[in-house]
Amino acid sequence: MRVTKRHLSSLSGSLKPRVSETQPTPYSWINNATPSSSTGRLAGKSIAIKDNISYQAASTSCSSSILQDYNPPYTASCVQALVAEGAHIAGQTKMDEFGMGSQTTHLPSNYTPVHIPASPRPDEPPRSAGGSSGGSAAAVAEGSCWAALGTDTGGSVRLPASYCGIVGLKPSYGMISRRGVVAYADSLDCVGVLGRDIQTVEEVFNVIPRPDQGDMTCVSSSSRSAAAQILDNHLPEKGIEGLRIGLPREIAQRTSSALLEYLKSQGASIEEVSLPSIRRALPAYYVLASAEASSNLARFGGGWYGSKNDQASGKRSESGLERRKRIRTEGFGKEVKKRLLAGTWALSADEFDNTYLKALQLRHLLREEYQALFRIPHPLLNVERRRQKQKQAGEGLDVILHPTAIRTAPPLNTREDRKTKGKGMEEYDQDLLTVPASLAGLPSMSVPAETGSDGWPLGVSLTSQWGMEGLIFRLGRVMEDWSRNQ
Amino acid sequence: MIILSRWGLGRPIIGSIASTRHPCRQSSRRYATKVKAAKCEEEWETVIGLEIHAQLKTGRKLFSPASTSYGETPNTNVDLHDAAFPGTLPFLDLQAVRLSLITALALGCKINTRSTFDRKHYFYHDIPASYQITQHYNPLARDGKLRITQGENKAQRTFDVGIHQLQIEQDTAKSQTVGDNVLVDLNRAGTGLMEIVTKPDMRSAEEAGAFVRKLQGLLRRLGSGDGDMEKGNLRVDVNVSVHRHGMPFGTRCEIKNINSVRFLQAAIESERRRHISHYLTTPSIPLQQETRGLNELTLETFSLRSKEEAMDYRYMPDSNLPAIAIDPAYLEKLKAELPEMPWQVVERLTAAYNLQKRDVETLIGLDEYHFEGIRYYEEVVGNDSKIAKKAMNWIVHEVLGQIGKGKSIAKWSSTLISAGTLREMIIMIEEGKITGTNGKQIVKYLINHSGSNPDVKPDNQAQSIPLDQILRDLDIEVSDSSSSSSTAGDLEDLCQQAIQNQPKSVNDYKKGNEKVLMRLVGEAMKLSKGRANAQRVKEELVDLLKQ
Repeated sequence: MRVTKRHLSSLSGSLKPRVSETQPTPYSWINNATPSSSTGRLAGKSIAIKDNISYQAASTSCSSSILQDYNPPYTASCVQALVAEGAHIAGQTKMDEFGMGSQTTHLPSNYTPVHIPASPRPDEPPRSAGGSSGGSAAAVAEGSCWAALGTDTGGSVRLPASYCGIVGLKPSYGMISRRGVVAYADSLDCVGVLGRDIQTVEEVFNVIPRPDQGDMTCVSSSSRSAAAQILDNHLPEKGIEGLRIGLPREIAQRTSSALLEYLKSQGASIEEVSLPSIRRALPAYYVLASAEASSNLARFGGGWYGSKNDQASGKRSESGLERRKRIRTEGFGKEVKKRLLAGTWALSADEFDNTYLKALQLRHLLREEYQALFRIPHPLLNVERRRQKQKQAGEGLDVILHPTAIRTAPPLNTREDRKTKGKGMEEYDQDLLTVPASLAGLPSMSVPAETGSDGWPLGVSLTSQWGMEGLIFRLGRVMEDWSRNQ
Repeated sequence: MIILSRWGLGRPIIGSIASTRHPCRQSSRRYATKVKAAKCEEEWETVIGLEIHAQLKTGRKLFSPASTSYGETPNTNVDLHDAAFPGTLPFLDLQAVRLSLITALALGCKINTRSTFDRKHYFYHDIPASYQITQHYNPLARDGKLRITQGENKAQRTFDVGIHQLQIEQDTAKSQTVGDNVLVDLNRAGTGLMEIVTKPDMRSAEEAGAFVRKLQGLLRRLGSGDGDMEKGNLRVDVNVSVHRHGMPFGTRCEIKNINSVRFLQAAIESERRRHISHYLTTPSIPLQQETRGLNELTLETFSLRSKEEAMDYRYMPDSNLPAIAIDPAYLEKLKAELPEMPWQVVERLTAAYNLQKRDVETLIGLDEYHFEGIRYYEEVVGNDSKIAKKAMNWIVHEVLGQIGKGKSIAKWSSTLISAGTLREMIIMIEEGKITGTNGKQIVKYLINHSGSNPDVKPDNQAQSIPLDQILRDLDIEVSDSSSSSSTAGDLEDLCQQAIQNQPKSVNDYKKGNEKVLMRLVGEAMKLSKGRANAQRVKEELVDLLKQ
């Protein structure tokens, strides 16, 4: 017997964060401290954070054996911002090891699984909560926390949000400081927000983006003001009147025509547009992300921090290199090793030009194609180029809309299933529709809008110009209205 | 200003695919095959290129706020980023960029309009992140040169050493093996370095030494580095190849981590001998290209690894760091503010005042960073070319000579004897108001009463004592009649009187004992109460005694 969605909502927040060695749970660590009375914009709110976001009070292991028992000596900037506004950190949530995966199944062997908390019907077996921020999505969906932070490198916030039927925002790259976020791929990693509705996501998002001396890719206050000014110029005076929405022709998955009709009735215009490079985004993404991961994860096993295994002196006869080999071989899971090998290969002298650089070129092309579609200028362009852009922009889009995922949540494979199927290509395909916005550094939010033919939820993604989260929230609220009336 | 361009993301950080197929650094380190006709009478020619790692003198690490240190307790100056803790990110020290920029400008380099940082990967305990942040694809600057003049460090010709490129990068940690353990000290990890790569333009150990010495002076003058090889703040890798004149360049070998000019020259000589001996004894076997080290006891090089064992560093752009774009106006400003270089001041002062090169270099050596010695000298001279040579003699030979003597613990500083006092004194001597002997007395007195003498309180510093008071203290009589005091007539009278007072000495002198002349000079000086010019007294006496 499975908990149904209706049953879950009747519990309305009585579920508490919990850890378990036998039962499925989204949490890897829970905060046992009693929340003290607090003031601030998030006073009394309980927020879970993904296990790759450093929190001094917890061990931050990225759901990896290699970092078991690693206690960060500092707290990530984004968590500091939450705490400063009175939020209570509920706990840390499970994830695919180091963020590599789409189903939160790449976990240390002693971890219990993470499921979507409710099934559409009592007789349906549980499904994957998506990944890699599956723990954060499941925690929000079951109601054991008010909101959660995740990280999104190629869709790791949006995909689980889509599967779990909640809202997941990947903000513009550089909007939220990454200091304290354990890197998977630096040029793609974003801290994201998960919540049951847009109001929640917006409340959290209003608190965490700010400049940070600890992250040079986190944009300055002047860039933020420029973005705010541009947003102000482009927000419709009323609702979504005059908003221009584009549907990429290259994406075969269609959004429900009823939703599109509703948006039109609210004053938006909808047109089909072309993003030809979107087809090649997935391979480009996997090359770049794996290459960066092979670099970022090279630090583990060096002996300065990490698991007890890492800290232990090992066999007396063991050389430094042997010790590092042992720790990395034992400490990393299978999927991580696969991507590290692929990334190392992409960066090797013989492959670099034909693999890494080609992927970088594709990323550049895709980015240019996005920029050509928007009528809103990029706030990080200098004023001169922005003005040129505005002159050309008689026509153009405000938001690009398409389904978040190619399907609803896949049934959970047993470990035996994975052994026989083996390749894992299907898992990579899940990211097909989320990686383009990641590669382009654009804000993108998955909003629950539809139900698949199997009765499981499916989200719709809204992507806009850099810094235009406000515009995405505006359109998202209209979609929420529509869903509510379904 | 230095603009950090965040609008770089997703844009190919590397110029274009085509241009990176042959990374410039590799191709141009491959030596050109064209050889200038060498005039060297020896059969073999040595070709030398250098890679210099110079620590940037900013006081903090390149990407973290930890301070740089030398000789402190291991692992005390370490930020989380230096130990590569998960989630930490680099934050570039713009002061390091500024110092690298002025160094590149002083070397006549072209500054890259957009330079970027890359990662160089390898697993080793001296690099906690397992990658070094460096500038591989788009270095800060390229194509400069530094002229070596004949005679510098015994260089036999005047020529330019081309600068291939200058890049900013991180230093590694220090590690040492003690028994079974490898101990790592992260104090040095993450310190900012400039890597300066020369073209293979040097042809002898002396020329390579001259380049390193000249570069040390340049770094100190700019304040961008202290060039201290003993402390490891400047380290040199040298590429050496040997070939017969008129033939293509030979196989090059690289000798790593040399930490003195003497060892650099020894390494080149050792390598040169090894190559020649190889070509003579086993000409059929190609010389192996390899990386070598120098045994500092035997002064012989030894093999570290061959080319086949070379690592693949998997260079990759570092997306945590924005590109550095330099505002042309800022660059112009830095260029305009470049200080006078050591060789420039030597040229200027020797030309203007006909001074000895060695003396100007002594003044530079007093303070290689701020040229206090030069500034002091010019203040003493005050554009008065008549006293320029005298002033140099007084400073270099009398003042510095006195400092070096006996019990004196004084160190030179521009306040030891104020430039105004020294200038006044020299003018008085030139005008004949006091004698050179008086001058020496004054210098000795001031040095013994200087602020750096612990017996004297700082508020009683010599510089605050006016010259006339010093003259009174030392009981030196000043002749009022300015230059007329030593007119020929007066001098003759004085000398006549001395001859009359010392008849025995006159007799001895006339018998051929020329030494006794000094007794007569001393008598005349006594009669003049020290005011007469001893040299002229001597000349006058010789004249008179001839009669």
